[in-house]
Amino acid sequence: MTSDQHDHSHCLSMFQKLSEYIDNELDEMTCRDIERHVEECVPCKICLETLKRTVNLCKKLESKPVPESVSLKLKEFIQSMSDGRSIVQK
Amino acid sequence: MMYNPDRRKIQDKDFELVEAINSGRFELFQELVKRYEQKLYNFGLRMCGDVCDAEDLVQDTFLNVFRYLKDFRYETKFKNWLYRIATSTCIKKRRKSKFAPERELSLDEFWPKEDAHIPDAVPEWAQIPLNKLLNVELSNTIRNAILELPEKYRLVIVLRDLEGFSTAETAQILNLKPSNIKVRLHRARLYLRDKLKGYFAHDE
Ligand SMILES: [Zn+2]
Repeated sequence: MTSDQHDHSHCLSMFQKLSEYIDNELDEMTCRDIERHVEECVPCKICLETLKRTVNLCKKLESKPVPESVSLKLKEFIQSMSDGRSIVQK
Repeated sequence: MMYNPDRRKIQDKDFELVEAINSGRFELFQELVKRYEQKLYNFGLRMCGDVCDAEDLVQDTFLNVFRYLKDFRYETKFKNWLYRIATSTCIKKRRKSKFAPERELSLDEFWPKEDAHIPDAVPEWAQIPLNKLLNVELSNTIRNAILELPEKYRLVIVLRDLEGFSTAETAQILNLKPSNIKVRLHRARLYLRDKLKGYFAHDE
């Protein structure tokens, strides 16, 4: 099967499952099915590789530090809340 | 009331601290804040894109945690419960402000059209080492593309791919079926993939 004559309905059914494939959420047989298909179908292989890359880029996005001023304000806010609660308890 | 791990169905590093707070040691709440403020702040940035909104989200979430912590049942990880509160706080907040219109993303819009140019090989951006690729500019492009997503898709991709929750955990946090999470996640990823395709097309 070449990419010129590949069966679109088959490709579409692969296309729907690519995220589950990437996340390892498919059964063994469906996985093998997809692997066999992308070996032969270039458009689907490109689809899978670019999607995989998209997911990995998202997973690698870095966290930003909390600005000192925000952290300090939060600390004071929490302090005032727990002071209030302690008084109620007593 | 003593902490007794055997009583619990699940293990969680936060249970001991939560139980101490619930037994009246409210000063320990600061420790809980220390553990999660950065996570929540980044969750806020990813969901709202705005520093002030992120700050509000962190504060409102901790306020709600403080109010409802005594009702925590130790049936899920504390972190998942925390994100459930953060998520509903975020949704409520955004309803009050003008925001990106809600719309459905259909699988169709990501399926290559008959006449579309389909490259004949995997493009370079999907092949070169990840750390060579991910610079500040690309990071910002991804963050902005996530912000363009309708909220129901954004929530799912942020929880799954950025915050690292599993499908089952995300379903629990958002009170949705796992199948629903999978559908939304796939469409959100395809949307981002299209944005990245466009981003890299400029380089060629
Ligand atoms: Zn195919």
